[in-house]
Amino acid sequence: MSEGLARLAGRFGRLLGPDSVITDPVRLRTYECDGLTSHRASPGLVVLPDTAEQIAQIVRDCAAAGVPYVARGSGTGLSGGALPRTDGVLIVTSRMRRILEIDIPNRRAVVEPGVINLDVTRAVRADGYHFAPDPSSQQICSVGGNVAENSGGAHCLKYGFTAHHVLSCEVVTPDGEIVELAADGPGYDLLGVFVGAEGTLGIATKITVRLTRSPEAVRTLLAAFGSIEAGGGAVSAIIGAGVLPAAIEMMDALSIEAAEAAVRCEYPPGAGAVLIVELDGPESEVAHQFAEVERLCRDAGAFEIRVAADDAERALIWTGRKSAFAAMGRISPAYLVQDGVIPRTSLPRVLASIDALSAASGVRVANVFHAGDGNLHPLVLFDDAEPGAAERAEEVSGKILDLCIEHGGSITGEHGVGVDKSRYMPRMFTETDLDTMQMVRCGFDPAGLCNPGKVFPTPRLCGEVPGVRKGPHPYEGKADLF
Amino acid sequence: MTAPDESPEQPASSAEAPELLPQLLGECVHCGFCLPTCPTYVLWGEEMDSPRGRIHLMQQHADGAPLNGAMVEHFDRCLGCMACVTSCPSGVQYDRLIEMTRAEVEQEHPRSPRERVIREAVFRTFPYPRRLRALRAPLRAYQWTGLDRLVRRTGLLERISPSLAAMERLAPPLGRAPRLPERVAARGGRRATVGMLTGCVQREFFPGVNAATARVLALEGCDVVIPKSQGCCGALSLHAGREDEARAFARRTVEAFEAVDVIVVNSAGCGSAMKEYRTLLGGDPAWARRAEALSAKTRDLAEFLVELGPRAERRPLPVSVAYHDACHLSHAQGIRSQPRALLAGIPELTVREVDGPELCCGSAGTYNVLQPEAASELGDLKAAGVRATGAEVLVAANPGCSMQIATALGRQGATIAVAHTAEVLDASLRGLGAAALTRRRAPGGSTDGSGPSGPRQRFVRP
Amino acid sequence: MRPLDALAEVCGDVRPGAPEEGVLGVVPGLVAAPATAAEAAGVMRVAAEHGLAVVPRGAETRLDWGTPPDRCDLLVDTHRLARIVEHASGDLVVTAEAGLALDELAAALAARGQRLALDRPLPGSTVGGTIAAAAAGPLRLLYGSPRDLVIGLTVVRADGEVARSGGKVVKNVAGYDLGRLFCGSSGTLGLIVEATFRLHPVPAAHAYVTCPVTGAAQAHEAVQSLLHSPIAPSAIEVLAPTPPSCTVGVLLEGVPEGVTARTAQATALLGPDAQVCEEPPEGWGLYPDGTTLLDVTAPPTSLTHLLTEIGADALTATWSAIGRGYVGLPAETAPDKAAAIIAGLREGLARHRGSAVVCYAPADVRAAIDFWGPVPAAKLMRQVKDQFDPGHRLSPGRFVGGI
Repeated sequence: MSEGLARLAGRFGRLLGPDSVITDPVRLRTYECDGLTSHRASPGLVVLPDTAEQIAQIVRDCAAAGVPYVARGSGTGLSGGALPRTDGVLIVTSRMRRILEIDIPNRRAVVEPGVINLDVTRAVRADGYHFAPDPSSQQICSVGGNVAENSGGAHCLKYGFTAHHVLSCEVVTPDGEIVELAADGPGYDLLGVFVGAEGTLGIATKITVRLTRSPEAVRTLLAAFGSIEAGGGAVSAIIGAGVLPAAIEMMDALSIEAAEAAVRCEYPPGAGAVLIVELDGPESEVAHQFAEVERLCRDAGAFEIRVAADDAERALIWTGRKSAFAAMGRISPAYLVQDGVIPRTSLPRVLASIDALSAASGVRVANVFHAGDGNLHPLVLFDDAEPGAAERAEEVSGKILDLCIEHGGSITGEHGVGVDKSRYMPRMFTETDLDTMQMVRCGFDPAGLCNPGKVFPTPRLCGEVPGVRKGPHPYEGKADLF
Repeated sequence: MTAPDESPEQPASSAEAPELLPQLLGECVHCGFCLPTCPTYVLWGEEMDSPRGRIHLMQQHADGAPLNGAMVEHFDRCLGCMACVTSCPSGVQYDRLIEMTRAEVEQEHPRSPRERVIREAVFRTFPYPRRLRALRAPLRAYQWTGLDRLVRRTGLLERISPSLAAMERLAPPLGRAPRLPERVAARGGRRATVGMLTGCVQREFFPGVNAATARVLALEGCDVVIPKSQGCCGALSLHAGREDEARAFARRTVEAFEAVDVIVVNSAGCGSAMKEYRTLLGGDPAWARRAEALSAKTRDLAEFLVELGPRAERRPLPVSVAYHDACHLSHAQGIRSQPRALLAGIPELTVREVDGPELCCGSAGTYNVLQPEAASELGDLKAAGVRATGAEVLVAANPGCSMQIATALGRQGATIAVAHTAEVLDASLRGLGAAALTRRRAPGGSTDGSGPSGPRQRFVRP
Repeated sequence: MRPLDALAEVCGDVRPGAPEEGVLGVVPGLVAAPATAAEAAGVMRVAAEHGLAVVPRGAETRLDWGTPPDRCDLLVDTHRLARIVEHASGDLVVTAEAGLALDELAAALAARGQRLALDRPLPGSTVGGTIAAAAAGPLRLLYGSPRDLVIGLTVVRADGEVARSGGKVVKNVAGYDLGRLFCGSSGTLGLIVEATFRLHPVPAAHAYVTCPVTGAAQAHEAVQSLLHSPIAPSAIEVLAPTPPSCTVGVLLEGVPEGVTARTAQATALLGPDAQVCEEPPEGWGLYPDGTTLLDVTAPPTSLTHLLTEIGADALTATWSAIGRGYVGLPAETAPDKAAAIIAGLREGLARHRGSAVVCYAPADVRAAIDFWGPVPAAKLMRQVKDQFDPGHRLSPGRFVGGI
């Protein structure tokens, strides 16, 4: 450990108590990656604070010492957004997990950043409410992480993302101050840009979330089609009919095979694609729209439609979909999860192109996607024991992103950019676009110490940097040569 | 057959192939779904004290990092509750990983003299009914004289050793321990013949549970065979990584029950261990087939009764019960619905769910003795959940859980009647009425009610 | 070269400003109306080169909002940037230029059975102005405000560079969401030239259920009963032209069968005085009367307090159950009285984690009041402003804290 970090470790030990500072290399290494294991960096130091004031002090100390820091919640991100710095401090919020206030009359709750997403819903379920963002990791991902990543989920087609469900955040800024950012109120909507900034603008220490009235009725069906094209046709027909389902999910034959092997979800045999459509809302609306969706699926060529009669049957329908990623292990030794978005109407063309890409490269690609909003999760399968296979898979995966950009889509719908995709950002945005986004970062964090190296491929120079400068001044370095 | 020797046989060759560990480790995709179900992660929020973190530590060791004190500390803190196995979407066999790792720790890692003394005391006493029995007389005298309350008040034992203090706290009030005959005949027409495991702690400290189990089985039309030759099933040793010891116990148990078609087990930890014999002895050609057969015919009491179907008349028990999932029943054996179904089948009885049912109570075999601080924090969490149900009786299928939760309730100044599923059924089938359950107050209600306070913040479950 | 000539080289419509074009009395030196994003970029580049202070103008519906600019060398008028760039109806997405009137956009979208789910309190207001003012009406209860519906935004920066964020897909977390940052930024960060919105289908049926209530407590009760019911309203409004007595109204949208059933439920909740109609009640989606307008953040539980307070001062109000409303101060309110009313409202609302911002006020009132109230994170806002507009030339003085 560097002398600077050792000094910080001492300070933090006094601030937080010895149980909340980790310096042992073996323990530190358990924090070397989040949910994306292909990027690893053992943190220089890990701290587990309990309060916003402690985080503010930690950030001030880091700023004074010119040491970078990264915040981490449950460590479930899929783009390496919480990848630590070997020369920095990892601030883990997993002990800040109190639900501070539940305010049903105002439909909101105040939680600490380490509170688990699903625990918010559990806390208000009896009152008929829930926290709408439902990423598939909701049983463990933290609300603080949701804020950083602007997490969505299967039901964000209808209910939107975390940004739509956060009313305000108490934030420790890179200056080490504690400020309140709110969606309503005077001045800029800094909250709007803070949510989804992947932890590069500060650390949320208290989050006021909007609670959503749980629907009176939920109805789910599974429709099996001969082909992806037919399934895609049903999606277009449903959206075209003015129906806004809570979720529309699609799986292709390969992902059905994997899910079957893993959880025996008993999807109709011989299906080239299955579609899961969930409608929710007032009983009187749902009943009518559901009949319409059933008819549209049949018209689009569904050869079997199963309607969940109760919660258990609904869970069974969802089991296959929810296990799809982890189930890939059953049909392939290794795989990459891609996350790209295309306009929904481009679905058939893009899927055909992915097929062609797969055929040409010999790399198998399974497709699982949030069909309603065009969010693709191609799973690129490979054998990590085979030399060069990982590189080939990586290449196919990158080409899929190119396809998304070509069709006017995005390189990430919900996993974030993190370290994993920062190199793709210049394909989607111009240098000016990226420079403009980084103006915000320069406003918040001119020294560039808050989760550096994420989102943007190259940092922007922020002009006059207050406080301690990192490394030698460019001119000073040159002067030394003479 | 002569009475078996009460010391384990010589170690058999290791069953695990060397390439197995990397393969099992490789199945973890680091998704973190296990974290919220892990009791130690819930307590401390640290990566190293989660299944994902422990697997990472195992991986570090497999990659060449030496097994050091830091790693062993985190492996030791694992309760082995297997909640993570239930929650894992990728099918990681953490149960096997931690057992293999513990076996390695036992072989490779030198322990401090104090740790050694405690571990030896535990493993040389608990698995041996006769030795446990020898403890009963002094314990009874100790409780009867009121000396126990005095000792607890002084905190003397806490200062000498938290582990010994835990052992003392958990001792249940001891009544008469009836002996069971070798055979109990079915009432009414015979529907099955079953073997019954009596267990160690169950047999010596909770004899009433075994008697109730035998009666319920007989009333449901089973001839119950209780082989005298049976001893400890080896569960405690197996779950602590003392594999050779566990194998010796397993072989003796296999022999003892070879004559019956079904073995009914009323202790969750024992049942789960016996279902694992196929893996434990799988590498031993002389025993693999016999172990497989035993595992295949092992049934938890609730599992067996639901398979058999009810025949005896259920009489009303107007009482509310909180059902606690023993980890070795719910996570290790996947048995959750059966005990609830049996309880719900009793007229006028209401079953209440404890919040966070997947979370371990901290008993976990020998955990409450070896990791007393963590165990009591978990016990407090669970006790709070049980209290919140407002139920009159706590029902669990594992003696360790009942002792643990009752003790924690005692620390909070509360008492609750505890019963095993078998005892509730017994009370219903025999028409004993609710009082038969509710007057069974749990031990430990005499403490000052102040819970343990650690530097770590506890998870407040909404 | 003179600024006028330099501008004329890059933009087809440039002229000196007229006295009647003053922004809260500050007459612009020049007016430029670019017809394309490229022209707009050229105009902004010239403005940067000449150090011109720039104020954007759409349909002038909210040009009198905020505080007057410190200076206004150049008014950039967006009325020639008024095209629908792309309506991808299959994807429920539309891209439109900043100067397009929302009414026109709505008509075009309606022809294909779709809508941008934003109310239009001021007829004629434009895409760019609506975003810059973060303007929304009753539908915000279900659909949110511009920050929730803008999925892509193109702006011209102070230095004349064109920058884009977001995209054409609803689900997208690539890069910072500058769209949300620009919502409500009042022309102080850059010139909005184009925006992409998420759309919704026009519902097949709708109905308004309204009910007069006489007191603040009853209004609160009625709102709570609707808010926590499962009828999924698109809007719940309290219209209070003479508070504390007011009208509670709920808008239900959906399929005809559903709307019929939910209307019955809403009627049952509101009691025997409830009425069902197809047309909105009077004042629905409009700002309340008055010459001073306040935008209040007022959570549902503050409604009783709000109605009581403003009733005492004979003010008017409209309020959405999302927790946002508007309060109007009558023309005759004396400046010091207005200042006292505003301070009192702020104090009361702060207890409910609410706030009050003045939208517009007569000059004499402006001089007497604190326009914005306490601004949390003001320092951060200035730091961000300094990055986007280091010369402080974009709508200088129009926004919080002298921004």
